Amino acid sequence: MAYKRPRAVSPAGSQKRTRGIDVASKTIKLGTELPSLDDGDDGAFVPVWKQTVTDERGRRRLHGAFTGGFSAGYFNTVGSKEGWTPKAFVSSRSNRNKDQPKPAGQRPEDFMDEEDLAQAAESRQLSTTQGFSSIGDSGKQSGPQDQFSALFNVGEETIGVKIIQKMGWRQRQGIGRKIRREARLGDGHDPKDSSERHLFAPADVKTVTITSENSRKGLGFESEARLSTKTAEDEDEDERPGLALPFLDSTKRALGPKKPSVKKSSFGVGVLNDTGSDDEDPYELGPKISLKRTIGKDKKAKKPSKFSKPGGERHVFVSKKEAPRTTTSLSFRPPNDGKPPLRGFVFAIQVVIPSKPHYPPPKIPADWKSSKKVGNETDATAFQSVADAAKASTLDSKARADLLGETPLPGKSVFDFISKENRDRIAALTGKTNLPQGLGESAPAGSENEGRKDLWSFVPVLDKSTAAGALAKGATGWMPYAEDPSKRTRYINFLELKSGLKQDLPEKAPGASVSDWVKEMQEFAHAAQVFKPTSGIMASRFTSSSTSTTATGDTTGTNLLHKPTPKAEDPAESAAKLGMYGAMTRTVIPFLPSRLLCKRFNVKPPPDVPFSAEFTAENTSKTQQAVSKAALDSMMRELSTQGSALQRPDWMTQPKPEAAAAVKEHATVDVESNEALTQERAPEDVFKSIFGDDDDDDE
Amino acid sequence: MPKFPIEPIAKLTGHGGIVHAIAYSSGSQQYMLTGSSDRTIRLYNPSKAPISSQTSAAGLINTYSAHGYEVLSIDVNAANEKFVSTGGDKSVFYWDVQTAQTIRRWTGHNARVNKGVFAGQDDSVVVSGSYDGTVKIWDTKSGSYKPIMTLDEAKDSITDVCVYDSEIITGSVDGRVRSYDLRTGQCQVDVIGHPVTSLAITKQGTELLVSSLDSTVRLMDRTNGQLLKAYRDEGFHNKELRVRSTLGLNDSVVVSGSDDGLVYVWDMLDGHVLHKFKHSELRQVSGSATQAMKNNKDFVGAVTFCRVRKEWASAGGDGNVVVWGMAQQ
Repeated sequence: MAYKRPRAVSPAGSQKRTRGIDVASKTIKLGTELPSLDDGDDGAFVPVWKQTVTDERGRRRLHGAFTGGFSAGYFNTVGSKEGWTPKAFVSSRSNRNKDQPKPAGQRPEDFMDEEDLAQAAESRQLSTTQGFSSIGDSGKQSGPQDQFSALFNVGEETIGVKIIQKMGWRQRQGIGRKIRREARLGDGHDPKDSSERHLFAPADVKTVTITSENSRKGLGFESEARLSTKTAEDEDEDERPGLALPFLDSTKRALGPKKPSVKKSSFGVGVLNDTGSDDEDPYELGPKISLKRTIGKDKKAKKPSKFSKPGGERHVFVSKKEAPRTTTSLSFRPPNDGKPPLRGFVFAIQVVIPSKPHYPPPKIPADWKSSKKVGNETDATAFQSVADAAKASTLDSKARADLLGETPLPGKSVFDFISKENRDRIAALTGKTNLPQGLGESAPAGSENEGRKDLWSFVPVLDKSTAAGALAKGATGWMPYAEDPSKRTRYINFLELKSGLKQDLPEKAPGASVSDWVKEMQEFAHAAQVFKPTSGIMASRFTSSSTSTTATGDTTGTNLLHKPTPKAEDPAESAAKLGMYGAMTRTVIPFLPSRLLCKRFNVKPPPDVPFSAEFTAENTSKTQQAVSKAALDSMMRELSTQGSALQRPDWMTQPKPEAAAAVKEHATVDVESNEALTQERAPEDVFKSIFGDDDDDDE
Repeated sequence: MPKFPIEPIAKLTGHGGIVHAIAYSSGSQQYMLTGSSDRTIRLYNPSKAPISSQTSAAGLINTYSAHGYEVLSIDVNAANEKFVSTGGDKSVFYWDVQTAQTIRRWTGHNARVNKGVFAGQDDSVVVSGSYDGTVKIWDTKSGSYKPIMTLDEAKDSITDVCVYDSEIITGSVDGRVRSYDLRTGQCQVDVIGHPVTSLAITKQGTELLVSSLDSTVRLMDRTNGQLLKAYRDEGFHNKELRVRSTLGLNDSVVVSGSDDGLVYVWDMLDGHVLHKFKHSELRQVSGSATQAMKNNKDFVGAVTFCRVRKEWASAGGDGNVVVWGMAQQ
């Protein structure tokens, strides 16, 4: 072990040292102080050289020189006389892990600091995941007066409570809008003297619990127990039901000030947990509820074990005598989780629902008649619905207006405007003969234009250039609404209008209302904004679809399978399929061999050319070789076909036109005469003009 | 036209599975290495294994077993002391012939390695092509366990690799032959159009024999990528198996195995079928009437030609290697 246990309590006879001298100086103490329980150091006398500093887990903290002087180690060195003994080197290759401390000696805890330990301890805290309630709480213990019910009731709040608390609700407040009223400050306060009004939460309203009526008592019956009004004491008890038990309270208080809780809370007493005191039950968990055994009279009601697994297999106890009867029939049923039930238990076959007694409704005596008279009984079928009545009526709107004495509206019917022939046609088509006469009036002046103007106001605003751009884009490349040609035409029309190519109002889709039309135009305007060519990003994201979804309802099922469009075949592939091997099937891509590879192949690495668009094959071959391979090849071919230049006949040596041109560039050299030497000397006066002055001076 | 060797002169037995690879030793080419799906490589002396011998595994000299999967290719270096083998265990094994131990095992491929060949000056590198679509080049001189270079242009499995001078030529199932020229730093991609299964280069290095899975062997002009000759036959069937083809008799004949157990020999120049051999029956067959073969094991996966003698060998699904030569005078 890496650390030591704290020292045991010194024998009782050993001399006690009084601690806390400052306290002692102010107060007088009589008797012997009891050792404090929560401190590992019990104040027993320990000679200085035996005192050690330990951390809260009992590990020795200070070693060596820190413990104070010569007594640590050998002259403050390590534990041996020699100090660090030089060790012979042992190869760890073959025997690894040999001289390492045993793995058991190291635990994760040894590497944890306080925070980690606290965290680990927290994670080990044993608690139920949910609040629990006692079995049968709807039965005998349903009364709130039961002292113990609070102990076993759900401690946790329901999610609904949590939610409304988040919404601002507080415990003991009513739910609802806040009320502005005067403050109720209690009995002694006169509400009239303060006119200040504040916002208060509404008073809590007791929840009406509707319990199922199982008894044969009448409606609204309340037993005597409920008659007594609640006293203040009761309320007080209700306020803190958990602490309503005086004896419990006293025991709790008797426990005294809480000890600093031991952070580790696993079962059993570890070496480190042992504080040396015996009065502490290490297995205790939660509140001490053992009192239940002595006071409660309902021993039959089995409380569920706190430690039972939540959500575990439900077992029903069956006594051994009964077991053989039931297990035979139940043995076929496989357990839920594949595990056999505990000994003495069998699986429940059916969920036991507490059966409610069923009370039939009271029988009405045969000759009973209600004293309340319903009005004269009429036949229900005599009533007519309004719609039916309207149908039956032969009156038209004008007749009705006459009946009601209304002045006729100035508006005109459709039939006032359609011609007689059209009216007759409608009458023939609909089979109605009572249509009003077609008067064939002409439209009132300006009505059409006004309507048009109204419609023009609906046409959304779109920049002219944007519309033109979108239109141009559509002409060359992608355009939306490929799946709906008519919509596309409308879109194009719209764009043409907006770009000034057209003047008339955009047409409506057949059967579309004005609002639809306006909506569509707004959509078009938006689409034009999105798909104008300046936003190249969008354009690049779309491609024109190669297949158009057929609008015809193909319900035969043959079209259900989606056939992927065949990929455009690589031209090289298709050329290869046709057998046209050659330039079509050949591509050259650059590649950069590593230098080591070239070294291994003993070739000069190609010049480091970055993979760029400028890369061309010609460039490299020229820069690399003084004489290109093609030139070399042609020379070799020439040599092989025509032989050496020295042995060629004259006609072969005659230079070709290009070669002749090249030759002409060279200066012809005449060996016999040197032009520079043989040229005539300049006349004498030239020299004179240049050098004459000097001559004069000399003379 | 020299006479084609048509007599079976040796039969190398002993393999317990399909023989995927045959390789003549370098130099005088007296020995043969065979790699099989029984995970072993065997070294034979064909002259000690005549057809008449009844002993099993006649002429067997050594067995090299380190592979954990089938052996797919073997290549012997020029000095005849090392060879390289590849197979299903995703690694390239570099062997010492004498000790029958691997000197190095290069791992790095992600799938089975279809082909491994020596390359470079003094066989200083090994080029391997794998099912993972990459070609990796390994250094035999340094102790490096990483490849010198990885060529990953191929879109599908690399089925064959061949090296000529400073060019690495790879054939892939994506239907392309890629020629990487180290001198110029260019890669020529020639589209064949069908999955390429085998490559063989002529001695001049200007033509390339390409087998593809459309039952055709093609002779391609490497300078411009044009087709020089296509070798087909109505009986020649190669649509699903990796079947090797080779050039022989000083590049005058084209030899290819097939899916149905026959070996076809074409005249390189005029493209006519010269001979057909039934590998499993050790005989030459004539006529186009070939009985339908139901036996899955009856195929010829590997053919190789001896470069110094008029001799060639075929191997296939029956686990035997047949060496064909001139009749004994």
